[in-house]
Amino acid sequence: MEVTWLHLVPLLPLIGAAICGLVGKWLPKSWVYAVALGSVLLSFLIGLRAFIGLGEQAPFFHELWFNWFSAGSLRVDMAFTFDRLSGALTLVVTGVGFLIHVYSVGYMEEDAGYWRYFSYLNLFIAAMMTLVLGDNLVAMFVGWEGVGLCSYLLIGFWFTDEEKAYAGRKAFIVNRIGDFGFLIGIFILFNQVGTVGIAQINSAVLPLGVASIAALCLFIGATGKSAQLPLYIWLPDAMAGPTPVSALIHAATMVTAGVYMVARLSHLYVSAPGVMVVVAVVGVLTAIWSALIATSQNDIKKVLAYSTVSQLGFMFIGVGVGAFFAGTMHLVTHAFFKACLFLGSGAVIHGLHGEQDIQRMGGLRKYLPSTRTTFLVATIAITGILPISGFFSKDEILGQALHTRAFSFLTLTPDGSTRLTWLGPLIYAVGSFSAFLTSFYMWRCYFLTFSGEYRGPENVHPHESPSVMTLPLWILAALSVIGLVLGLPQAWVHGTGLQHWTWEHFTEDVFSRPRGGAPEEFSPYLGYGIALIVGWAGWACSYALYFKRGLAGDELLTARIHALRRALANKLYVDELYDFLIVQPFWALARGLFRLVDATLIDGLFVNGIPALIAWVGAMARRFQNGDVQRYLAVTALGVAALLYVFLVRG
Amino acid sequence: MAEAILFYLFAIGALFAGAQVIFRRNPIYGALSLVGALFFLSGIYVLLAAHLIAILQIIVYAGAVMVLFVFVIMLLNLKEEELGEQRITAWKGVGLAAVVASFGVIAWRALGPAFPQGALMQGDRRVDNALLVAGFGGVKTVGRILYLASILPFEVTSLLLLVAVVAAVVVAKGRI
Amino acid sequence: MDFFHAHQAQHYLVLAAMLFALGAAGVVLRRNAIIVLMSIELMLNAVNLTFLAFSRFPLVPNSPMGSFLTGHAAVFFVIATAAAEASVGLAIIIAVFRSRTSVNVDEFDTLKL
Repeated sequence: MEVTWLHLVPLLPLIGAAICGLVGKWLPKSWVYAVALGSVLLSFLIGLRAFIGLGEQAPFFHELWFNWFSAGSLRVDMAFTFDRLSGALTLVVTGVGFLIHVYSVGYMEEDAGYWRYFSYLNLFIAAMMTLVLGDNLVAMFVGWEGVGLCSYLLIGFWFTDEEKAYAGRKAFIVNRIGDFGFLIGIFILFNQVGTVGIAQINSAVLPLGVASIAALCLFIGATGKSAQLPLYIWLPDAMAGPTPVSALIHAATMVTAGVYMVARLSHLYVSAPGVMVVVAVVGVLTAIWSALIATSQNDIKKVLAYSTVSQLGFMFIGVGVGAFFAGTMHLVTHAFFKACLFLGSGAVIHGLHGEQDIQRMGGLRKYLPSTRTTFLVATIAITGILPISGFFSKDEILGQALHTRAFSFLTLTPDGSTRLTWLGPLIYAVGSFSAFLTSFYMWRCYFLTFSGEYRGPENVHPHESPSVMTLPLWILAALSVIGLVLGLPQAWVHGTGLQHWTWEHFTEDVFSRPRGGAPEEFSPYLGYGIALIVGWAGWACSYALYFKRGLAGDELLTARIHALRRALANKLYVDELYDFLIVQPFWALARGLFRLVDATLIDGLFVNGIPALIAWVGAMARRFQNGDVQRYLAVTALGVAALLYVFLVRG
Repeated sequence: MAEAILFYLFAIGALFAGAQVIFRRNPIYGALSLVGALFFLSGIYVLLAAHLIAILQIIVYAGAVMVLFVFVIMLLNLKEEELGEQRITAWKGVGLAAVVASFGVIAWRALGPAFPQGALMQGDRRVDNALLVAGFGGVKTVGRILYLASILPFEVTSLLLLVAVVAAVVVAKGRI
Repeated sequence: MDFFHAHQAQHYLVLAAMLFALGAAGVVLRRNAIIVLMSIELMLNAVNLTFLAFSRFPLVPNSPMGSFLTGHAAVFFVIATAAAEASVGLAIIIAVFRSRTSVNVDEFDTLKL
């Protein structure tokens, strides 16, 4: 159904960003807050109204805002589509975004650049909305780049600190590498389909090779934006930004853009099953890789950052095995509990006046009760030891991986004797181990932060955050619990009113089915059992090591597996490897080119050479004008002689 | 016959006088030599049946302009030692060579394929146009050209002379 | 002799060329400014001679009669202009002599880069 108000959803935060950015410095603080928060709240309300309006008669809302440009057969419009998937995500982004704006009011209270912060935050919401609502790949890419830009601006918010500025730069550059793949994908698709509209691409019939390459290129963009192997390196460094930024961008919304993109183009990916294998394998490898690293991190934000990377890996497992609804459901629940975790860590840091090392925390349950409770709820959600939102979404992914048929007809050998049916169960096994690790390191984080006794310096007195910061924590914790409704198995809710609230049912018509078909209805109880065992096992290990002993648990582990723990604590040396393989050669190349081309060729030849030439010519020519009239006359006589010769002798 | 003798007489005289102008060190000798050259040239003009011009040459050129020259030379009153030495530079050689080359070219052309002589042909005979035009070179005929065909240059020239008078006075005065 | 009956222009032209060359050589070679001016006058006279020679022996036969005498008119103007130019030139030499007490042209070289 065509509407005319959909563009307000990205436009209002954009206007808010403009106002805060341009004149926010001179407006009273409350006005800046009002504009920033108000614009996001308005977007949320518009989205809510639209969401409610979605129904049988109007399965989606569409708006063609304006034609951006047309060149030849390419026509790019700024157009938005609000269907069930993008609508739900709109609510998540604007809702969680609003809560984080509220939280930021308290967190950035003493910062002089608060108006800049809120401008960037609003700009981010606007860009994310463009990404989510975009109805063609180019509009989506505009949003894609926009969130990348805002990520850079916000990570390097305290740019006077060189390290933080570099972190922002790193994020942008690594993203860029992914974006290149995304662009190639767009080009291929436009070339083959003739349009960049998502709906048309989804309904186009593409040959296998073309679809595979296009899907692969787009996925490369997703690895950059969603921090998967090999382009995840920017996310841990991005923790240099303010914590609400980490919560919003690097947990709840921006990093999920890759998953969203794959889910949106589910029809394309389904027609490229080879790429789905790649997606799932990358997802599971990322999940376990970063889960391992997270067990040995001591900065509370870094733990959560690697946790995010790991959970994103889970989401990609979900979409990779063809269960698009499972991946996107985990996206939604993850937004709730991860944002809660990040904001909670921000409250901890705020309460400890900037301390981020968990080795110097401990016993904070006495000083930060609200934070502790919400953090506890979110940890339960992410580790899945109780059946709230995270439990259902994570288990759904793993269950779908185990029973998937997406790899059942994919053959490795021409005669069809080998099929990749073993891949699903393998992913399940590795994923379950990653879930075990998730539980382990999350509970380690919780115990070391809140349990035991305070290990920090004497002069720091932890205090609870103001209510403007704790209120969003409570709301997000509540959502983490309520979100379980999204993941309730069909067997339980079949025929009841609750069925409409489950994510699987809700997004039924949006996604495509893998070629192998959906797996048969399988009993979820075995999966639940194993998931509970895995989660509790992680809790138990963590409890044994850290609850009473505190840091002694770390020392115990280190004594046993010294080398491994050191490698994990050093992030498995990935950054160093990239530096050696890629960064240093590039710098050497740049230096060489500078010396050769810039200094020698361009400076020597053109910049300095041409003036030298002109000066030399001038010096030559100057000798003709020495004021000696007789010499002038001599030259004139010469000219006359020549002319006479030409006219009289030669005619 | 007579014309040939007179022509060569006057020509050699003019050339000699001209050479004296450029070779003598003392400017007075140069000025006087120039006067002599002008006289000889005036004779040649008569041979060319340009009577008015010949007379004007004597009266105006030799009689006024050269007098002015002599006056200025006497006014400057350059002593013997103030007259500088002649310096020969490379460029002067170049200029001299160019001048000689120009002369060579002109002479080559002038002495080359025959110039048309005379104006009118009556049948096969050439007729000397000096005899055809009544009063060739006389006051009346030249005056007719001046006042009828080239009246504008005439008036402009009078203006030019006015400007020259004013300019000479202004430039040469010590204080205006 | 051919010269008398034919009464050709070549002689006058060659004479004029010689006088012109003499004048030009004087301009190029001499240092004394007054001598230079006189050389210029010599060149102008050579030009006058050329004009009159072509007026007497025109290049194009059978022209309308009146136009033979345009050469004379040109010479008239040349004489007048030479007079004007000589007077102004001499005034300049006097003015320059007042400040530099020299009339050597190669010492007047301040108009340069």
